[in-house]
Amino acid sequence: MEMFNYYLKLSMRNLVRNRLFFILMISTLAVGVGVFLANIAIIKSMSTDPIPQKSERIFNVTLNIWTGNDASGDLIEIMRYDDAMHILKNDIATHTMVHYQSQVYARELGSKSLTRQKAVVRATTPGFFPLTDAPFAFGSSWQQDHAKQIVIGDTLNQKIFGGGNNVGKTLEIDGKPFEIVGILKPWKLKPLFYHVAYGQKFNPTDDIFAPIETALDNEWAINVRNSATDRINSVSDNRGKNGYFIQAFVQLDTLAQKKEMQQYINNYSQQRLQQGENLRDYDNRLLDVNQWLVHKEVVDERMLAFGIATSLFLAVCIFNASSLLLARFHSSRFETGLRRAVGARMKDVFYQGLVESLLIGICCAIFALLFGWMFLQISINLFPALEHTSDIDGALILIGVIIALTTSFISMLYPLIRSCRTSLSTTLK
Amino acid sequence: MLNMKDISRIYRSDTIQTHALRDFNLQVNTGEFVAVTGPSGSGKSTFLNVAGLLDSFDKGSYELDGINIQGLNDDELSRLRNEKIGFIFQNYNLIPDFNLFDNVDMPLRYRGFNATERKRRISNALEQVGLASRANYLPSQLSGGQQQRVAIARALAGEPKILLADEPTGNLDSLMARQVMELLHTLNTEGSTIIMVTHDPDQARAVGRNIQVIDGQITDHSVYAPINGNATINVNV
Repeated sequence: MEMFNYYLKLSMRNLVRNRLFFILMISTLAVGVGVFLANIAIIKSMSTDPIPQKSERIFNVTLNIWTGNDASGDLIEIMRYDDAMHILKNDIATHTMVHYQSQVYARELGSKSLTRQKAVVRATTPGFFPLTDAPFAFGSSWQQDHAKQIVIGDTLNQKIFGGGNNVGKTLEIDGKPFEIVGILKPWKLKPLFYHVAYGQKFNPTDDIFAPIETALDNEWAINVRNSATDRINSVSDNRGKNGYFIQAFVQLDTLAQKKEMQQYINNYSQQRLQQGENLRDYDNRLLDVNQWLVHKEVVDERMLAFGIATSLFLAVCIFNASSLLLARFHSSRFETGLRRAVGARMKDVFYQGLVESLLIGICCAIFALLFGWMFLQISINLFPALEHTSDIDGALILIGVIIALTTSFISMLYPLIRSCRTSLSTTLK
Repeated sequence: MLNMKDISRIYRSDTIQTHALRDFNLQVNTGEFVAVTGPSGSGKSTFLNVAGLLDSFDKGSYELDGINIQGLNDDELSRLRNEKIGFIFQNYNLIPDFNLFDNVDMPLRYRGFNATERKRRISNALEQVGLASRANYLPSQLSGGQQQRVAIARALAGEPKILLADEPTGNLDSLMARQVMELLHTLNTEGSTIIMVTHDPDQARAVGRNIQVIDGQITDHSVYAPINGNATINVNV
């Protein structure tokens, strides 16, 4: 410990004595690590399993039924109302939910303020909550399909009521009253696996959860892509028509359940085929959450390419820092030689270098985290789509520190080995 | 104390082999003060580097304080340098932003002494060279002669068996050179074994034994009478 303190003292002295050099070197490494970290932050958010406790048991249901003429094309995750209802009435899955997204303006009924809050609505079924493990703070889901009841998220609860238990209160949505029967705790789900399509993948969880039948009854608009091969006059007119806008997910806890469910949807599409509808080229699919995220290319390939570029940039920074250190070790050969002459072993010189690299690594980590955060903000300013994609959390800070220490060590390694191997007789006179 | 037999040291480049030491034989006994002289490039510094375990040799055998050097690894050589050898360099080789205390402390750190023991040895060493009151000074605040005395204190602090001095007065004016030489003589009188490379024939004559090195070999081996005596014996080898 005494020698460690001595090495620390020597390293501090070196840092102070050569402060301009070390500022340059630490900045070089910190920029490289910072850019790398910012990139990792984005990729990590994109590639995180949003629901690891059951991601392999939740499946998106993709049907191959299509009433149009074109049988080719990619998997299409949206289905018709009738298809969704057929999926919903299965007694195979542990939980089943179907949904579509809408947007409304809401205010507390009777409030003096006439300001309405814009709110994203998930028009869904009660199975949504146990399937997604949505955490209830107060109350629970609605019980009846056409109930004028809703569950609200924490953000909307804060915006309208300032938080607290507001179960039993009423929201006015588009001029009609809806009773709040449940309020969720703050809830993050990244990526938003149940709605990764159409630029929604990193959106926050929804503000209002309402029965899908109620949403249709009230003509709450379909807020994302939909497709139809019939003329559809209103939102509720989708019932019984060929309007594609609903997504379905099931929770299948066993392989037997999955097989049975696959058979169930296959039978259904065959039944539809016999009724004169078309089938697309692909099979009916049950893709679990991670398969689904991969299929929907949640991790953007451009980000992966950028990730490779930032890795190379980091390598260049390490190389530069190493070159700088090599020059410094060359200039401090005298002191190294002197220490060796008076009895320092090679390993003493090496340990001293390690302590110095540790000190540099700590400085580098601090600046790298700062730079990483700055680069992330710059990225978000330049590309607003990244806003909900990334943040630097505790795990990432730890990763940043480890990378900074490692890069510092790698940068130091070659100069240190060279330094240890310097011929003593040539350095001293 | 020091026993070299048939030591050869060859420096090799792509095209040239230089025999810096060639069948070099020397025995130095405990308490001797040996001056090594010779023209530039004759092998004096190579001899001192090999003697000080700063450089290896290609052939021959070398025993220091009864320990055969051949085959020792870096750890063992470093320990021997630390415990048995004190270096005094022409350029003093003090670390400029360490004060005298920290400069003298350096070899003791690698010996593993505790703080109390280090402090005692540093105080004694600085006392010996007359600089105890300036322990907190930086080298730049001292004259050349005083800096060399600090270097001597650093060499003495480890209580080595042998002091190796490479032109210790080479950078000093005559007055300071005389002071440093007096200090070395005092140390020798007190029992230190010293080998000193020098260009100065007067300094060489003033010590008990003088060897001349030319082309990597000892060509002249003179044993002088005590410093105040008149007798001179020349032994050619």
